[in-house]
Amino acid sequence: MVAQGILEIGSYVAFLFVSTVALVIILRLFVSPRDPRPTPEKKKPFESGQIAAGPGRTRFIIQYYPYLLMFVVYDVIAMFLFAWGLNLRALGASGSIPVLVFLVVLLIPLGYALHLANHRENW
Amino acid sequence: MAAVLGPFQPIVDMLTSPLFVEIVLFPGLLSIAIIGALLGWLERKVTARVQLRIGPLYASPAGGILQMFADLIKLSFKELFVPENSDAFFFIMAPTTGLVLGAALVGLIPFAPGLQIANIEVGLPAFLAIITLSPTLILLAGWSANSKFPFIGGLRALFQQTAYEIPLWLSALGVIMMAGTMNLAQIVNAQTSGWFILPQALGAFIFLVTSVAEMERLPFDLPEAESEIMMGWQAEYPGVLFLAAQGPGFVKLYAFSALFSVMFLGGFLGPSFLPPLFWMLLKTLIVIVLIMLLRSTFPRVRLDQLLRAGWTTLLSLAILNIGITYLLVVGFPTL
Repeated sequence: MVAQGILEIGSYVAFLFVSTVALVIILRLFVSPRDPRPTPEKKKPFESGQIAAGPGRTRFIIQYYPYLLMFVVYDVIAMFLFAWGLNLRALGASGSIPVLVFLVVLLIPLGYALHLANHRENW
Repeated sequence: MAAVLGPFQPIVDMLTSPLFVEIVLFPGLLSIAIIGALLGWLERKVTARVQLRIGPLYASPAGGILQMFADLIKLSFKELFVPENSDAFFFIMAPTTGLVLGAALVGLIPFAPGLQIANIEVGLPAFLAIITLSPTLILLAGWSANSKFPFIGGLRALFQQTAYEIPLWLSALGVIMMAGTMNLAQIVNAQTSGWFILPQALGAFIFLVTSVAEMERLPFDLPEAESEIMMGWQAEYPGVLFLAAQGPGFVKLYAFSALFSVMFLGGFLGPSFLPPLFWMLLKTLIVIVLIMLLRSTFPRVRLDQLLRAGWTTLLSLAILNIGITYLLVVGFPTL
């Protein structure tokens, strides 16, 4: 029962992938023209008309770092709630108490982390 | 018939089998390509109407409806070159895979009873899990182009994902709690007594906002903000690859609007004098036009505004929605 539909979606995605890649390859090889005399500026990176300066993959600041850390933790926790939400009618109010305690325990540090993350000096 | 065809019989059987017809014609590849192109035209037309312009006009039968097909033909005959020092394989494969992922979403949607490519038990989480990959592909596209604007756009996509991802999943959780199933066809059938838009009004609002952010459409189109970073991650794409980079936006618009009508608007349910497919497509079209109107109504948000709003306002509202849904489900078990 769990494996229901896996064959269909697998064949569908495989069909999509093969047809899309085949289309791109056909266009690249047979349809799109080739420039016989390319100028050296043609393949330079686009920088609003200026001559490109320095490498394209520059160093960058990981701004908003507290949000990224919180995302790693709380995205996984959101998944745990799905198992509970699916069986909520069977569990009822008494069966939900551990999940609610779990949520409260997690929401307090989330509030503190948000308090820290919303200060710009911490970015 | 079988005797006449002889050795070709297996091929004819395969070509006329329901699964093959669904995969190739509707709701599969061909219909997705045509609907995606028509949505491109519709968006230009709706935006033009809002801004008191006319929009595409000349590639007609009616109102320039063939404009996107004309664009497709024009872009196909442009040179496909990759920029200097870029990673050509990933540069080409990232938007192509994005197109495949966008079209794969449509395969999970029930358009009518039985008219669904893959009826998976975990359809709703599978949909959201597939969509989670798309910011990674955008970062890959931006990184492989070896240019500054695409790279900034890719990083923005990554940061933006952290803002909307958790509210998106949690707003979908409300529907799962109400329906007691993750199967999309069963979620539709759970709405025979009433659409989920009423008990899940808050969840529907959060889902709409976060799905617009996921599709990277205005007001949340930070990775391709054309007035700030020159189309962002799409800046270096030539010819038909630019179309492949733009295409997933329209395919995802179609898939997300269909998912919204499945989750909150009762999907294919409706008065029986018209077929279920008609009601499904009508609801999808209404949601699509609503999302297109957001584009011409709101200005673009800043990245830090989006992160703060996503992590404080949207996340608190999503948790509040789960609390309300918990009280509804436990308090009124017959609902």
